[in-house]
Amino acid sequence: MKVSLFITCLGDVFNADTGVHTVELLERLGCEIDFPRAQTCCGQPAFNSGYHKEAAEAAKHMIEAFEHAEYVVGISGSCVYMVHEYEGLFEEGSEWQIRARALKEKTYELTEFIVDVLGIEDVGAEYNGVATYHTSCHMTRLLGVKEAPFKLLRNVKGLQLIDLPNRSDCCGFGGTFAVKMNDISEQMVDEKVNHIKETEADTLIGADGSCLMNIGGRLSRREVPVKVMHIAEILNARGE
Amino acid sequence: MPMQISEQGFKNRVEQGIEDDFMRGAVRSAQERLQTNRAIAAEELGDWEDWRTLGQEIRSHTIEHLDYYLHLLSENVSKLGGHVFFAETAEEANQYIKDVAQKKNAKKIAKSKSMVTEEISMNQALEEIGCEVIETDLGEYILQIDDHDPPSHIVAPALHKNKSQIRDVFEEKLGYENTDKPEELALFAREKLRQEFLEADIGITGCNFAVAESGSIALVTNEGNARMVSALPKTQITVMGMERIVPGWEELDIVVSLLTRAAVGQKLTSYITALTGPKLEEEADGPEEFHLVIVDNGRSNILGTEFQEALHCIRCAACINVCPVYRHVGGHAYGSIYPGPIGAVLSPLLGGYDDYEELPYASSLCGACTEVCPVKIPLHEQLIMHRKNMAEEKRTLLAERLVMQSFGKAAESPALFNTATKMAPFLTAPLSKEGKISKGIGPLKNWTDSRDFPEPNRERFRDWFDKRERRKSKNA
Amino acid sequence: MPKGEIYNRDSFLANIRVKVGGISPEIPVEKPNWSVSPQRNVLRGASQDELVQLLSDQCTQIHTDFFITTVDDLPSKLIEVFGFYEAESIVYSDDSRFSDYGIEQYLIEKKAFKWDNESREKSIEQSEKADIGITFSDITLAESGTVVLLNNPGQGRSVSLLPEKYIAIIPKSSIVKRMTQATDIINQQVKNNETIASSVNFITGPSNSADIEMNLVVGVHGPVRAAYIVIEDR
Repeated sequence: MKVSLFITCLGDVFNADTGVHTVELLERLGCEIDFPRAQTCCGQPAFNSGYHKEAAEAAKHMIEAFEHAEYVVGISGSCVYMVHEYEGLFEEGSEWQIRARALKEKTYELTEFIVDVLGIEDVGAEYNGVATYHTSCHMTRLLGVKEAPFKLLRNVKGLQLIDLPNRSDCCGFGGTFAVKMNDISEQMVDEKVNHIKETEADTLIGADGSCLMNIGGRLSRREVPVKVMHIAEILNARGE
Repeated sequence: MPMQISEQGFKNRVEQGIEDDFMRGAVRSAQERLQTNRAIAAEELGDWEDWRTLGQEIRSHTIEHLDYYLHLLSENVSKLGGHVFFAETAEEANQYIKDVAQKKNAKKIAKSKSMVTEEISMNQALEEIGCEVIETDLGEYILQIDDHDPPSHIVAPALHKNKSQIRDVFEEKLGYENTDKPEELALFAREKLRQEFLEADIGITGCNFAVAESGSIALVTNEGNARMVSALPKTQITVMGMERIVPGWEELDIVVSLLTRAAVGQKLTSYITALTGPKLEEEADGPEEFHLVIVDNGRSNILGTEFQEALHCIRCAACINVCPVYRHVGGHAYGSIYPGPIGAVLSPLLGGYDDYEELPYASSLCGACTEVCPVKIPLHEQLIMHRKNMAEEKRTLLAERLVMQSFGKAAESPALFNTATKMAPFLTAPLSKEGKISKGIGPLKNWTDSRDFPEPNRERFRDWFDKRERRKSKNA
Repeated sequence: MPKGEIYNRDSFLANIRVKVGGISPEIPVEKPNWSVSPQRNVLRGASQDELVQLLSDQCTQIHTDFFITTVDDLPSKLIEVFGFYEAESIVYSDDSRFSDYGIEQYLIEKKAFKWDNESREKSIEQSEKADIGITFSDITLAESGTVVLLNNPGQGRSVSLLPEKYIAIIPKSSIVKRMTQATDIINQQVKNNETIASSVNFITGPSNSADIEMNLVVGVHGPVRAAYIVIEDR
């Protein structure tokens, strides 16, 4: 099965490791990985800020970049959901809208792809640690991927997973919100960090790099010794 | 009290909210309780999504044919002997209500909870002509006694106050001498207000839902004050926002069930009263005269726009009760009597961007509001639409527009994107320390005021992948 | 009753009509067939006895005392509840069911005040002073524990509202599943062009408020306590 990797701009520039783990993981699960070099950012920051003309330009570019793909797999639920929004950026019934819909139909978030498309719930991973999982808002509420990460994590050998209190609360990232409304965002991420501390977990797992960057940044600022890991890294771990 | 509740700027209001520890504690525990109750009430039905779908269908059909249903409502109210006044503006509504009060030579007016009367500053208008207006909802009463402190929540208006603050207000203003136990405070208010109900010349109510097919007005309360106000005074005035209407009783069942479950997690509230016209001649109690005031006040500008669904709102506050932003800043920070997600959508629509331009940005777009809305208003999408309007009207900062434009260009041009991302570690290098950035500049400063920022990778993912490909083909 | 006045309607509605693309108020709008009807599934197939049980369970949620009795034992049950509530003064609605069920004589003995729709002031004053107000329930909703009063002139809006305690007498046959069945009845009256009650009251337990720190206080403006007495049918 050929998978075109949707690395996301943050993944490309800040979390290259996550991409590496994803490639190794998917290859181990029998996929052949393709990386369309032309991909850039999905356009979400522009879209959420109301710059829909600019977002549509980004969308067109992404549609072209992935047009050849059989399956597109993204490592961020939020960016994958942005691809779902593309069709709404174009005129009803237009050529671009049809192409946008085609892209949406073959684009999956990583855990969703492994569970729903590959039909695998045990990827043979082993990670020794006590972890809690942050459910990202866009991935769960908007994309509707709720169970897949938990199905996969439950089968990771050595992993003790603790429920995060108030787990459906937003971490306060929200793209430009974190910068524009920093004072409010700080209260939100602080609350999230407090909940993480309550679990006494040593590792925080998430499936969305942007939330992890936000929470991780606050953990680091408050010097809370919790390791932050993308789920791809956990699923690629082999107990070493 | 008009819709706008503060002269201060948004930043100041937010700061005050964040610093108010008591308010935040009260809001947090209220939210937790209301969220849990709502979730239980929704889940026990087993098919909550169907209920939401039905609610959405009913609301959207009704608003699409609002002219027809309002006409039908007014015909039916008039047939029963009630008077109907259509008010395009707040001033028109207040003038009519004042005229009724003067005609009735009214001194004392008892009022049950109503957001639309707050929105049009009705109390103030009546006080100007010498009427005494008494709020009878316990929460509203507390706020009124406390020198008209504005409401901070559309269902629980005094949510921001604690019991000892309430005790102090009662003591200072009303000579209350007991403890701060909620039971004792409520009993005191009961005794004070009972006399007011009996003496009132006019009763004024809001309207949860009007029923077009029968000309009825449904009022949903727990305290029983709306029943008092509609049973005892000889004249009743009901003020309704023009969108608060359903076709018939079949639909009333659904919206009331959605409202009580979504608002407070109750199957039904203690009192749901459906009033149809003035009292019958043979009846002893109930109003002899009934006036229905239907208020537009900017609502019709929302019709036919991408925001039409905002008029589907049934004012349950479920979105407010789950909103993390509301939790941290409280209702007053929104600067409007309509706070939270629905307030951030509605206030700029009714009051304009000049006064409420920050509100659509006061959301992380987490979508919790959209998920709980019992009539499926896409609240977070409407916030994005506001942002879009403001970007198109060039209300946003020039710097932001330039970033977004260049960003649009970079995103569509791989070469530019490539260069920009490659440059990132070099551009941020002077700021980096021990693999992280703790003191950013420009927009990054706001980020690093609260959190560390990661150092960009020296080797981007694409560089790693390219290298690996090259290695592979060499080996092959 | 002469027709009421309607002011400013034409211009107000014309403005709306343009925006929603309406045609004319004279052309009836057909309500669509709603795609789902979840309200019809609630308690589907429940027997009358199951509904009574549910009502009883719900009463604990809504802080309401629940009693069940037979027609024959109704007077003694009522007297028991009066004792329980330390009732001195009683007001009840002008409703033939009080004599039909054989309890009016006990109320007369207790010097209870019967709502008098000829006298507004006196009836309100008596209700305000009474310890207990009693009405029959016209329709009773098992799901929510709600008594529905389709107020006719004799019933008096104040009887169930002003006294400190409220007793609803509930014929078992009046119990239905939920609000849907009650609104169906009223909806049918509307369709048949019948006059519907000028005040339909859905009453679910005593009055309450959570306006102070979200603490539930039972008894605010309306009754502080409430009791339901279900009567097995004859």
